[in-house]
Order: sequence, then C-alpha cells, then structure tokens
Amino acid sequence: MPADTKSFWQYREALQATAREKFLLGALVVGGCLSILLLSDWWFREEHVASLPLFVILSAILWWGMLRMIIIWVSYLHISKPAPRPAPAGKRVAIFTTSSPGEPLGMFDKTLAACARINYPHTTYLLDDTRDPRYREVAERNGAVWLELVGLPGAKAGKINGALKRTDEEFILVLDPDHIPFPNFLDEVLGYFDDPDVGYVQVSQAYYNQYRSFTAQGAAEQTYGFYGPTQMGMHGIGASVAIGANCTFRREALESIGGHGHGLAEDLVTAIRIHGAGWRSIYSPIVVSRGLVPEDFGSFCKQQLKWARGVHEVLFAEVPRLFRNLTGWQRLSYITIGTYYLAGLTTFLFLLIPFIFFWFGIMPAQMEFVPFLVHWLPVAIFGVAIYLYVQLWMCHPASERGVHWRGMVLKFACFPVFLMGFVLSLIDHPIPYIPTAKQSVKGFTPFARPLIAHIVLFLVTVLYIVFHRSFIVHEAALELTSERTWSMVGFAGIAFLMSCGGMIAVWESQDLPEEDPWDSVDLDLIVAENKDRLDSITKPS
Amino acid sequence: MYRITLTVLAFGIGIALVMALTYAGQKSSGPIEDAVTTIGTKVTEIEHEVVVSTQEKSRADYLSWFQPYRIGTYRISHPDTILWGAYDNTQSDSYEPIVALEDTLHMKFAVVQIYSAWGSKPDERFPFNQAKAIYDLGSIPMITWEPWLNDFDNEKFPTKGDITNRNWGGMKAIAAGEYDAYIDEWAGRVKTFGANIYLRLGHEMNDPYRYPWGPQNNKPEEYIAAWKHVHDRFIAAGAKNVQWIWSPHPAYRQFNEYYPGDAYVDWIGIPTLNYGTVAPWSQWWSFNDIFGVYYDSLAVFKKPVMLSEIGCLRVGGSREKWFADALANLPVRYPLVKAILFYHSNNDNTTMDKTLDWTLLRDKPTIQAIRTAVSRWKLPPMHQPAVKTP
Repeated sequence: MPADTKSFWQYREALQATAREKFLLGALVVGGCLSILLLSDWWFREEHVASLPLFVILSAILWWGMLRMIIIWVSYLHISKPAPRPAPAGKRVAIFTTSSPGEPLGMFDKTLAACARINYPHTTYLLDDTRDPRYREVAERNGAVWLELVGLPGAKAGKINGALKRTDEEFILVLDPDHIPFPNFLDEVLGYFDDPDVGYVQVSQAYYNQYRSFTAQGAAEQTYGFYGPTQMGMHGIGASVAIGANCTFRREALESIGGHGHGLAEDLVTAIRIHGAGWRSIYSPIVVSRGLVPEDFGSFCKQQLKWARGVHEVLFAEVPRLFRNLTGWQRLSYITIGTYYLAGLTTFLFLLIPFIFFWFGIMPAQMEFVPFLVHWLPVAIFGVAIYLYVQLWMCHPASERGVHWRGMVLKFACFPVFLMGFVLSLIDHPIPYIPTAKQSVKGFTPFARPLIAHIVLFLVTVLYIVFHRSFIVHEAALELTSERTWSMVGFAGIAFLMSCGGMIAVWESQDLPEEDPWDSVDLDLIVAENKDRLDSITKPS
Repeated sequence: MYRITLTVLAFGIGIALVMALTYAGQKSSGPIEDAVTTIGTKVTEIEHEVVVSTQEKSRADYLSWFQPYRIGTYRISHPDTILWGAYDNTQSDSYEPIVALEDTLHMKFAVVQIYSAWGSKPDERFPFNQAKAIYDLGSIPMITWEPWLNDFDNEKFPTKGDITNRNWGGMKAIAAGEYDAYIDEWAGRVKTFGANIYLRLGHEMNDPYRYPWGPQNNKPEEYIAAWKHVHDRFIAAGAKNVQWIWSPHPAYRQFNEYYPGDAYVDWIGIPTLNYGTVAPWSQWWSFNDIFGVYYDSLAVFKKPVMLSEIGCLRVGGSREKWFADALANLPVRYPLVKAILFYHSNNDNTTMDKTLDWTLLRDKPTIQAIRTAVSRWKLPPMHQPAVKTP
C-alpha cells in the first residue's frame, strides 16, 4: 500500500496509440478471434452433449462471454485519443455540483474550494436540497453560487434540470461532489467544443482513496480499463458515453433532449439521448480530478445495484426508442453496456453447474478435460495478452497496470446484486434511489449473505462428497469416478475462492479508517503539481 | 494502400500466431496433456489409497491368490486353474455390475473385459484409468482391441490407401507402419501401466460377415503381418506385460490360415455365444456345437484357451440346461480351457437391429445351474473359483 499518493494529484493522460502498437494489437485480435473460431468448431459437436438443456445453458454462458470479448477487442482496434485543443477565451462556463441530505459537509468544503482554483473563468453552483443552512454557508465561503432546489423529482437529474432553468452559461460541467478538480480541468476540455457538433466531453474518472481498503482497490481496478482502452475505443467508434462525474455538456445539447435524463443510470440515459439527437461525443483519457470509490462492501453493492437496475432501463426503454437514430457502432455499444449486468445471471448459472452434478449426477457436457484445455488455452492466451497489452493505454499506468484480481473478486462477489438488478428490471420493480455512499457505512452488510450461503453450501457439499466416497461409494466405482468428481470440486472451488475473497472485503469493511479521506487532500499541492501543465496549455501560441 | 497492407499483415501475423499455438498444442500432446493426465491419475490414486485404507477388506484381498498372475511372466501364461471373468455393458462408471454378478455366482472374477476401438480420439487411447481401476480391484483387464480404422484423423494419419475407406486393405496398412504413432503411444501407456494385461487384438478375423479387419477387406497373410507388426512394436516399446489372445471364430473353418504363430500368440480366445433362434441365420446351438466340436483342432496350438465371451439367449431353448451342459465336468473335457468370461450385456445391438439381452443376474435357475456345475469340479482347493468369503 503506497503511502505516497502525491503522484495522484498530477495531471495524467493516456498515450496516443501509434500505428505500430495498433498493428500489434490487430495481430493479437485476429489471433484471438481465430482461436475462438477454432474453439467453437470443436465445442459444438453432438458427441459433446451430455444433457441437452444444460449444454445449451453452458454454451450460452460461454459464447455470450466470447461474443462480448470479440466486441470489446474489435473496439480496441479503434482506440484513439482526441488531439488537445486550446480552450477559446471568453466562453461562459458553469460547474454544477449537487448536495443531498446526509452527505458530509467537509467534502463539499474541499471540492468547492478546489473549484474556486480552476483556472478558466467559470461560476460554480451548489445545487442543494438539504434544507441545512450550513451547506449554503460552505458554498458562499468558497465563492460558489448556492441554488436551493428542493422537492424536484429525479434527485440529481431533477436538480440539474432545475438549475439549467435558472442559469444561462453555454457549457456545464457536472461534477460529483466527491471529485476534487485540478486547476487545468476546464482548459483541457473546452477546446473540443470548437466543433459545433460536439455535445459533451467526458474525461477519465480517477480516485484517490483506493488504497484505503480491499473494496476500494477492487472497485477502482474495475474502472482502470474502462477509462483507458475501453472508452478510448468507444471514442474511436463515436460511442463514448457520459459517466456521471466529470462530464462537460453543451447547454444546447442538454436542452435539445429536454434536459438531463432521469433514472438510476441518468448519465447513460443522457448520453444515449444526446447521441440519438445527432450530437458527437468526445472522450479524453486525461486525469484532471480525483474522487472517491466506495470503501466498504455494502456501499459498493448499493452502487452496483443502482447501476444494474438503471442500465437495464436504458436497454429496455432507451435503446429501442432511439435505435433508428443511433449509428451501428452506437447501437452495438449501448446494447453491450446495457447487457453488462447479465453477468449476474451467467455467473449464477456457472456456479450452479457443479452442484447440479454433485446432487443429481447430471453433467452438461461430455468432454474430455485435456482436449478442452488444448482448444481453450489459445483463447485464454490471446485474451490475457490483449488484456495486458491494452494496459498500455491506461490513464496512469504506474498506479493502474497489473492483474486486477481484486476487481475480479469484487465483480464475482456482486453477482447476486447484478442478478437482483436484472430481475427487478424484468418485472419493472423499482428500487429506491440510493446515493452512492461517500462515507463508509459500518457493519456486516446484508449483501454478504449470498456469499456466506455459497461458502456454506460448498463446504457442506465437499464434506458430503468426502463422506459419501469414503463410506458409501463402492470401491468398484471409486476410481472410475474419481477424476471427474474431483475436477468438478476443483471447478466449484474457483467460485468458492472468489466468494471467500468477497468475504475478505466484507470482513475488512467492518473496520475501516476513521479519518475522512478528503481531510488530507492538499489543494495547494494540487495547484503546484499542475502548474507546468496549465502554463503549457494556456500560453498563447 | 498503406492501411490495407498493414491490415493484411496484421491478419497474417494473427493467423501465424494461432497456427504456432495450435501446432504447439498438437505437438505438446506432450507437456500439457501429460501434466493434466498425471494430475488426474495421482488424484485417483491418492483417493483410492485413502479410502481403501479406511476399509476393512477390499476386493483385492479376496483375490490375493491371484497376485502371481498379475505380476511376472510365468504364471499368467501357465495357468494352474480356471480363471473367471466377465464383461458388463453398464460398467462405464462403475464395476459394481461385475461385482453384483460375481457375488450372485459366488465367484471372484479374476478377469474383467473392456472393449477399446482404434482411432485418434482421446477415448481411443489405452484405457488407462479403467485398467488401473480393474487392477486395484484385484483383477486383470482383458482388452478387446478392435482395429476400426475409419476413426483416424486424416491429417495426422495419412494413408496410401483409400482415405474414404481406410478399412479396405487396412491390415496391410497397419503392417506397413501407417498407424505406428498410434500403436506406439498405446504400447507406451501399457508399459507405464506395468501389470499384466490380456490383449485380444482383431477378434473374429476369419468371419467374412462381421468386422472390417476380416476377409472382406484383407487377406489372411495381411492379417498375420499386421498382428506381427503390432506385436513387434509393443516389444520395441518395452511393453512386455501383454498376453496376446488370438481369437478366431471356429465356425468359419479356415481359422488356421490366420494364426500368427506360436511366438506371437499366448492364448487362444474363443467366443461361445448361443443366439438361440432370434435370427434367421441362427438356431439353438449347444455348447458342444459351438465349441466342443472344434476343441481338438484348437488343441493343436497347445495354448491355454479362454472362452472370451460365454453367453446364451433364452429364445429357442433352456438357458439353464445350456449352461449346465457347457460347464459339466468342463476341466476334464476341455483341459486347455483356462479362463471363462461371461458376456453380460443387456443392450447388445452389435449383430442385429434389435437389442439382445444376455444378462443372467435375475435368472435364478441358470445361476443355480452354473453354481452347481462349478461346485462339482475338482480343482486344487485354493483355486476352487473363489467361494465368497463372509
């Protein structure tokens, strides 16, 4: 755990992809796709079917994953980074940040103070519905305009739309209150609006509290690839999306779609509508602010549940409605994002397969392990190679590169949450608006229950298997079933270890550092660290 | 143009990478595969040891008298008793059906039969795990090894013959070494296995209507050449733990023409199945019709004889009587018979388009008839086909 997080506060940018790098990546992608083709040629054979329904389910899970992998690989081939453009002088810019009851006051103090240090002339607005005079005090002390927006539907989006009516700046930066912007933020993004078709400019979301817990680290790890190669690829195909914080909108674009979108994935709704209205989007892979990731497991799950429920709304409501207005790549991109949380269902089924074998003796597929390995290994090798290679385009490789096993554990541990979000969407059942926790909530979260249930189930099953095979299975059957049984136990053991990893996060979440992370953020340091960069982009050419 | 060139090049490199991996994967039927197979075998072995050590007496303990047959070269080819054995078609996940039959018959089967086809698929390799399981149960595996040649991969096993029908002239191709890679790998695994096995290669080779390794595709001398070639490859591979069973169908008289020679054969295997009147070509043949009348012409080979598949259907006569007649005083009537293997399949569709049931388990009169006949035999007490110990 590096004690020195000083490097976090300096401007960072992902590298531009060179022709040579793209070429190598292209070769890897072709290799990967071919391996998948060869695997599929081997996989889909009648002799491999043991139980047809289970084989269909298993195949659907596997090939759904493969299809998504191909889509993301192909989008990597379009990785591109917009050339920096100097911000034109004299534009009128607003920064919107919202406050809700219960959000810590100290955080607003820090963020609003940081906003005041942003170089490009702008007005900061605090969109407040706390009915607490101290928030107004904090806003005004930091030179921000306090707007009281109480009782509007749609929480954050409602307040933004209310504020749009009471302001008239041409550009609006929507900043989450936990994100501390760097002085050069607006100078980095405003130039892109020179193109009159650009509707919004999204920049990377980076964090400064990931070293405070397993959950925070894992949650941050899940985003490194997204804000690096993934969004850069989506930018390349004209489908980069707006993600909550750090998105700068052209007022005209927001107004053309009737204001900021509502719902649990309001940012994605806004993005798809702006794309649908024909605006272009820019994704710039630069770090010009840092915010917070959930530090405890429960808060992380709440955030994921909110997104899982919200994203499906985009899939079921927005994509069909706007389908005709989107480009082919945008359609593919939004459908891919919209189905991300199906991972909950696939993980659940995947986890169930060995238990169906243990309890009912049903195998989905009749495959020898070795040929499977021989066909699957090339896919795995190319997959890992591509995964590692595209880390070249992370925004801050020094702190972000690596094997993100905590992120994988956390994603696995969230499968019940994803599944719940999916099911709620299917039956169109609402979940209440849950603000992403800005402060850790103590205790043993109810989100840990499915993990505990899985761990208990696994241990009981293994105990049963040991008992059964020691005392009940006839010696004449033992050796013929040994390999199959224990390889299934091994297979189930992977998921078991993942759940155990999730429990580490849960356990650690009970006792997290007391100190508020923003207390130690030094705004003067941020100004100093980014002075050179600011000078270089603002000096007249 | 520049872009197109780059794209084409990237494709080329991608394809090359895949080919390199695939090639490495095929070659490394070595490292990865061996490692995984070894792990699987180790797991099986450890579990077997742990579980068996907790049990009071395993099946192998009842067959301890049989140990000299399983290891070493002398006893296996000079049997001093009659060995019992069986094949059961439901034995793929467990040998419990075998155990159930032997318990009912008050015997212990020293030999368990497995059928294994030739081919380049993974399940056509030497059935190591099955053989090991049989060994650990105290018995010896008898593997009927059937050279069906159409299951070979055309790339890995090119042939000078007809690629669409490898069976045509297949024995010649075997003798010419076209399948040596397969044979050598099989033999290598047999050597690794270590303990004695019975190997019945290309059985009923003189039956013109049945198997592709028979007269329809091959001449007798070609069959013999193939047999010798396979045998020699085993010796060359160091797989000397094999008892070679030459298994003609005596009803087709010219079986002598197919005999590979005394140096290449350890046992004579004879299938003795009575199909009764299920088919137009069959009638109720007694054991004497099927086996007895040919005994003298088989005895000239001076090799121990194994009744590799004994069975009788119930259509057209009394099965009880058939077995009673067959087994009555058998050691005296046919002194060269040293092993008898029940053919115990409830789902035999190899000869007809209907399914035949050869099982005895629930046929109490037949079971009783077999037990009575065998109990009257006069064999040395130790070798009295193991009466079930309490």
